[in-house]
Amino acid sequence: MPRKLACLVLALVTAASLAASWLAPAGYATQFREAPNAPPSRRHLLGTDQVGRDLFSRTLYGTRISLLLAPAAALVATTLAAGIGGVAGFLGGVPERVAMSLTNLFLSLPWLFLLITIRALLPLNASPLASVLATFLMLGLLGWAASARVLCAGARALRTSELLLQARALGLHGPRLFAVHVISNLKPVLYAQFWISIPTFILSEANLGILGLGVPEPMPSWGTLLKELEGVTSLTEQPWKLAPLLVLIVVVTSFQLALSRQEVPL
Amino acid sequence: MIAAPEPLLSLRLSVDYPQKARVLRDVRLEIGQGEIVGLVGQSGSGKSTLALAILGLLEMKDGKAQGAIRFRGTDLLRLSEREMRTLRGSAIGLVLQSPLSSLNPALKIRTQLKEAWKAHRKGTRDECAGAIRNALASVSLPVEDEFQKRYPSQLSVGQAQRVLIAMAVLHRPALLVTDEATSALDVITQSEILALFARLKEESGMSILYISHDLPSVAGISHRTAILHEGEIVECAPTDQIFKRPSHPYTQRLIASLPEVPAGGTLPIVKTTAATR
Repeated sequence: MPRKLACLVLALVTAASLAASWLAPAGYATQFREAPNAPPSRRHLLGTDQVGRDLFSRTLYGTRISLLLAPAAALVATTLAAGIGGVAGFLGGVPERVAMSLTNLFLSLPWLFLLITIRALLPLNASPLASVLATFLMLGLLGWAASARVLCAGARALRTSELLLQARALGLHGPRLFAVHVISNLKPVLYAQFWISIPTFILSEANLGILGLGVPEPMPSWGTLLKELEGVTSLTEQPWKLAPLLVLIVVVTSFQLALSRQEVPL
Repeated sequence: MIAAPEPLLSLRLSVDYPQKARVLRDVRLEIGQGEIVGLVGQSGSGKSTLALAILGLLEMKDGKAQGAIRFRGTDLLRLSEREMRTLRGSAIGLVLQSPLSSLNPALKIRTQLKEAWKAHRKGTRDECAGAIRNALASVSLPVEDEFQKRYPSQLSVGQAQRVLIAMAVLHRPALLVTDEATSALDVITQSEILALFARLKEESGMSILYISHDLPSVAGISHRTAILHEGEIVECAPTDQIFKRPSHPYTQRLIASLPEVPAGGTLPIVKTTAATR
């Protein structure tokens, strides 16, 4: 039941964000200069921010960016994890030891500082779209290590299995053997790792956004929307400003609840 | 004077594992063209090690072989991994004990048969489909699409074992190594699979190394039987002789351990077609 509810919530939030162009009363950068910091009204459902932009519209567009790009980053990370961890476990021996040492090195790095450093290296004059793509690509390229360990363990267990012994005895070998017989058996793990990575990347982007290193203005994301909370002096007087945070919590929780079934092997 | 034909397989083999030395000690065995040889031994006696050595797959268990395995006049131990790959599945087939752990649970049986075919052949989709249908028919399985689209979990154990055999004989290998291939089956399915091996041997003339710890099944199918004990072949003779006049004390103990049927007779051994070559 909680899983169904979580899937329903995710489906609704995703549908609403994809329909932002129709549902949002204004563009995410449109300013209503006559109404900065306006409270919720029929015109502005969640009020406006400090420069008069409609918060409901920005939340919808921000959700779209996070929900589209976090899965894309998760796909990059999971593919890298399968390529590095899966192949290492399949080959065993020296390649496995080298790959796992690299993985351990990646896991031991201070993540947040690494993200901040690399994000700071990106050019300041990049367009908002290029910056947002670079941010999530960076998350994907740096976020493979934990999944690689899990996939390496899965492939290692398969390496000496009767299944692969039989396949080798039939003459299969190398990349074909890996692609056909190893990957097909690692699919449940791959799905689970992909699914786990999405909320992780959503939160990572939010962290970068709060530090001003995420998606650049005026493009909204959950990170930039949370950063705007810095300027709020009293949340008790303006509780509607917490709406993006609430959506973030609901979505991340829903991903975790929906995951319980995804982890079960097919 | 006519020279005796060279055996299909002739081996003299010792095998070591890192944790266990001399799992096989100077094992000598010959298998003639079209012959079925039974290899009997207790668990841990080295039967599966011998099967892996013949297929050049000992490295999967970190094993090391010494000696010679001559197959059609070529020493397999001197072949490179690339050369061995061309023999596995095409000239030498393997059938393992548990079909449900040997078949890929995530792939349809058609996909698995297709991959086995593509490992050694390049051809059109129709040629591949034809070869798969022939292989399935040769092991008395349905050839229809509906059956081919099934996953291993949707098959009975007997059907899954036949699929495994179909994969192993897809390229008509000269030698089929079966490692406890009937041990996990009920007696009726076991007798069906034994009859299938005998028929495949009759139809294609392939030789079979039938490895098992189950004496009655070995007696039912093998022309000759070798007894493996603690890494050594202690006796190798025509099956009839092994079961009626065992000479080695270990073989005598094995034969004596066979249960008697309640009617007072003996187990129905050495009576199927294969033993009459």
